[in-house]
Amino acid sequence: MSAIDYKKSGSILNPLKNLSFFARPAITEPLEPRRASLRYRGFHLNDWEKCVGCSTCQKVCDNAAITMVKVPELAEDPLNGVRNLRPAIDYGRCCWCALCVDLCPTGSISLSREYVHTCTDDQLSSYFMLPDPNGMHKEFFGEGWNKTAENDLVDPQRQAMNEMAPDARIANFDEIVAGYDRQQAIIEASRCVQCGMCHDACPTHMDAPEYIRAIWQDDLEEAVRQIYNTNPFAHTCGRVCTHRCETACSVGKRGEPIAIRWLKRYAVDAFTPEQIQAIVGTGDTTPTGRQVAIVGSGPAGLTAAYDLARLGHAVTVFEGLDRPGGMPRYGIPEYRLPYDKLDADIAVIEAMGVEIRCNTWIGRDITLDQLHTDYDAVLLGLGLQLGRSTRIPGSDHGGVVKAVDVLRDVTAEIPETVPASAVVIGGGNVAMDAARTLARLQRQVHGAVRVTVSALEDFEHFLADPEEVTEAREEGVEILDSRGPKACIVEDGRLVGLTTLKVLSIFDEQQRFAPKYDDGDEQMHSGEMVVEAIGQMSDTALLGEALTERLAWQRGRLQTDDDGRTSEDWLWAAGDMVRGPDVVHAVADGHRAARSIHRALAEAKMEERAS
Amino acid sequence: MNSTHAEGHSSGRQRLENSKTLEEILHTATSFEETARNFYRDLAPKVSKRIRWLVDELADEEQRHFDLFSELMRRDDIGEQIQARVATPAADHRFSDAIHLPDLGDAPDDQAVLQYALGREHAAMEQYRELAAATAPGPIHDLFAFLANEETQHKAELEKLYYEIVHSGGV
Amino acid sequence: MRAENYEARNHPPSNEFEINFGPNHPGIEGNYALKVKVHGDEIVAARADGGYLHRGFEKLMEQRLWIQNIALVPRICVPDPAPMEVAYSMAVEQLCGLEVPQRAQWLRVLLLELSRLAAHLFTFGGHAATTGMYTPMFWGVADRDLLLDLFEELTGGRVYSIYNIPGGVRRDIPDDFLTRLSDTLDYIDSRLPDYDNLLFTNQVFVRRARDAGPVSQAQALDWGVTGPNLRATGLAFDVRRDDPYLVYDELEFDIPTEQPGDAWARTLVRRGELLQSIRILRQVIDRLPDIGGPIRAPIPNPLAWNVPAGEAYVRIESSKGELSWYVVSDGGDKPYRVHIRGPSSMHAVQVLEHLVTGCRIEDVAQIMFSLDACPPEVDR
Repeated sequence: MSAIDYKKSGSILNPLKNLSFFARPAITEPLEPRRASLRYRGFHLNDWEKCVGCSTCQKVCDNAAITMVKVPELAEDPLNGVRNLRPAIDYGRCCWCALCVDLCPTGSISLSREYVHTCTDDQLSSYFMLPDPNGMHKEFFGEGWNKTAENDLVDPQRQAMNEMAPDARIANFDEIVAGYDRQQAIIEASRCVQCGMCHDACPTHMDAPEYIRAIWQDDLEEAVRQIYNTNPFAHTCGRVCTHRCETACSVGKRGEPIAIRWLKRYAVDAFTPEQIQAIVGTGDTTPTGRQVAIVGSGPAGLTAAYDLARLGHAVTVFEGLDRPGGMPRYGIPEYRLPYDKLDADIAVIEAMGVEIRCNTWIGRDITLDQLHTDYDAVLLGLGLQLGRSTRIPGSDHGGVVKAVDVLRDVTAEIPETVPASAVVIGGGNVAMDAARTLARLQRQVHGAVRVTVSALEDFEHFLADPEEVTEAREEGVEILDSRGPKACIVEDGRLVGLTTLKVLSIFDEQQRFAPKYDDGDEQMHSGEMVVEAIGQMSDTALLGEALTERLAWQRGRLQTDDDGRTSEDWLWAAGDMVRGPDVVHAVADGHRAARSIHRALAEAKMEERAS
Repeated sequence: MNSTHAEGHSSGRQRLENSKTLEEILHTATSFEETARNFYRDLAPKVSKRIRWLVDELADEEQRHFDLFSELMRRDDIGEQIQARVATPAADHRFSDAIHLPDLGDAPDDQAVLQYALGREHAAMEQYRELAAATAPGPIHDLFAFLANEETQHKAELEKLYYEIVHSGGV
Repeated sequence: MRAENYEARNHPPSNEFEINFGPNHPGIEGNYALKVKVHGDEIVAARADGGYLHRGFEKLMEQRLWIQNIALVPRICVPDPAPMEVAYSMAVEQLCGLEVPQRAQWLRVLLLELSRLAAHLFTFGGHAATTGMYTPMFWGVADRDLLLDLFEELTGGRVYSIYNIPGGVRRDIPDDFLTRLSDTLDYIDSRLPDYDNLLFTNQVFVRRARDAGPVSQAQALDWGVTGPNLRATGLAFDVRRDDPYLVYDELEFDIPTEQPGDAWARTLVRRGELLQSIRILRQVIDRLPDIGGPIRAPIPNPLAWNVPAGEAYVRIESSKGELSWYVVSDGGDKPYRVHIRGPSSMHAVQVLEHLVTGCRIEDVAQIMFSLDACPPEVDR
């Protein structure tokens, strides 16, 4: 195709053609520095407000150019997944590929439109820079390559969870959530950027990055091993944990957090209790000859029991009710936590050599003093099993009951009489549990659901999880927000319902609780039963007056040191009674108390030897 | 309890209305606080140690008011003081409307104590407010407004405490 | 850097000298040496000596996550980095069974042809310089800069685009990009008469380049010569046409060939390809607005991405010749083994050694440059 004939030597006048250049405009470039293109990959900018210090940029950096630097002036907030680390860039290593930008979970990093950075004097110190939003040495050239939907490499969507449809679930107590299958779990686990915010936020500091990684690698034994490092209530927490991990999750900053709770559930569901026991082993089983009594077989008590048994102590757990498990069994409806899953957790714990004595109420069947005499240490792990009452007029009627009592009775046995209509006072998850439990019973007995929930809080400040509200509504429960209970209405000795007033606002200017009511907006909600689900407390009657007086208290709760030891050196307390209601906090507390007990027993042994 | 209650309402109000000087009003108000403080101090040993902190705190709060009023009485720039503090009255909310004054038994629990305290603060607040409304602008009006504001603030603190204790997280 | 090059040897005859061309020499696009033995003006022996740019790419890639390698691969050929990214991405896509969206394929062609254009402008400027004509080099580099402006707009980088990732490309074109591309192409088109006048029909250049370093078609095939160097021997072989990838089968373009296989022919083939690249780019400008859809197939979180076990072989036509990548995965999050057949590794060693032997010393540099070898492709 060549248009050029090399044999043609050309005209002798050819050089004169170049004279034409004199007629062409000269090419001039302005002297001012020019700005790079809008998506130029210049030097790093980092919005410190958005950056949470998750170190994902560091992990994806090809050249190990990023070092996370502690900035002490910045606040740490593990519960919201914020560390005071910020990326510093070694420009001797950086290759400006901008993968740090594309994979940044928060979108805080971008690159500038600066071509060449020149610095002088004291700025000459190094190639090592801590980028902020203002540009290098406060010279801002504009934002270049940044995060867009096109180059974003963070997958914002979690794997959808299969759940039973409202119609299918309303008349029974079957578990609603189906759990992940293998493929879903592996994909979900692969979304994790391994920042460890979950670990920091978790009360018991579960090794979530490790078990998520193991699930991604399809090594479920390793996942279970990592889970059991810190949590023997894996089946339970895999279902009903308050998952602070997911609140802190870096991926959740812009998208949906990794479904850490469902992944845990997937891993432990793959094994029988016997298999789990084989995976986690039984610890050091050389008996120490020490005996520990634990009152209450909930997560706090049994976690401590698990740890102590694995350390060789003889552990006896006393449970007042029929079956072990505490509040997770008697306070959480079966459709959220099936009893056999709780049994699986407990079976693993029992396999460590823990003895659980049910139907043994301390303070009634055996005194606490007796335990003090018979055991080397006693741990109280009581739940918040007493419901609070509104004490509004009419609330002393027999038809007005507490939510915890309703839930406990339903666990023990399905009641014979079910109210055809009921009103629940409260806006938290317990209120939802009670309402949804009653709704199921109503559907079974009466064929129709007539449950009204009246909550003090408005939906903006609602206490129950949003999915609880959605699911309760799907099941036919009516939920009213901003209603303050006024009176339970009794006609001819029969409870007929509840009157409420409209709450105009619930918090004052200082965000303090101070509700304003509208007297003109009074409503009557009819119900044969009124369920109070406003709050709970623990029953500390077992302590007796003398011990109550001896013990130190802290604003209504037993005062303990950081590890759960009370002012009496033989008595520890853990879980809801000292920490407030939460399963995973109770687990964390159980570990702390067990460590403290173990240390105290070891010290006592040393003293014995010394004397 | 009945005597305290009565003092906080009818006879107390009469006495205050009859008071003519700032000092007299403060004197009466101070004696209300003293009565309340003594009530809580008497109650403290009777309740379980678990909730004694609450009764102690209430007694301390009444003592704080008692001290504040006593101090005001001793100062001569009292008019200025009151004006300065009335300038930003705390908002009043009618939370206590839904809570009836209970009959505190021999061993009241924390909720009963709180409800009593809330009722008392509310009653005191209402009373000072009405008195302020009934008096012409001037130092006496300001003083009543000041007292109402103090009680309103105290009640707001109690409401917060009530929510924390009784609505324990609403789980 | 070959150890044997530095061993004590029998002292050469006193009328023979050993001269190092490189490792720093404008006759090649990077650090690379040619040790030649001269007898008078004549080269009597030559030894290619690479390794100065050895950064161990193939080995490094085994230590890096699949995604991290996208920042590494363009560095294997500085003047024409785009084919490296595309070939690597295509290999990973093959392993994962990833379907690359149509629009991404067109954008890849756009990038590849822009890169070829830039590389060729660079090459014939360079070739001119080795014959003592520096103006075409200045012009070539200056005009290439206009293309780098386009790279900067499109990819965020002037040289290392790092624009492709397995699954597609990272960004769509910016607003009005096609207009600016079209303008730039018009400008380069308008410059060609100047280049012809100054270089291709310039007897100074023609007479220097004619018959310098000739390669016969048979030799070329024996030595594994590909790309413009092969087409300069009269064989119209181009992977884009003979084993089409991306959307090249939807594009119209010719394959320029020349017969003599000498330095002049090689550079002239590149001049022809420059025209063809402009032709392809104009088709892209026409077609791209009608091709919608995403620019990237969804890929897993790069930090947790196991590529299925297997092996992938990908070949594409770079400005230097046939570039092929062989990538093996053992199912892990990093490549198990990567091998890159850079076309320059054939051209810059045995072909170059052969061609310079027997030529005059002043032609060594232009023969080196006319092969358009990229040393990192040798030292990968």
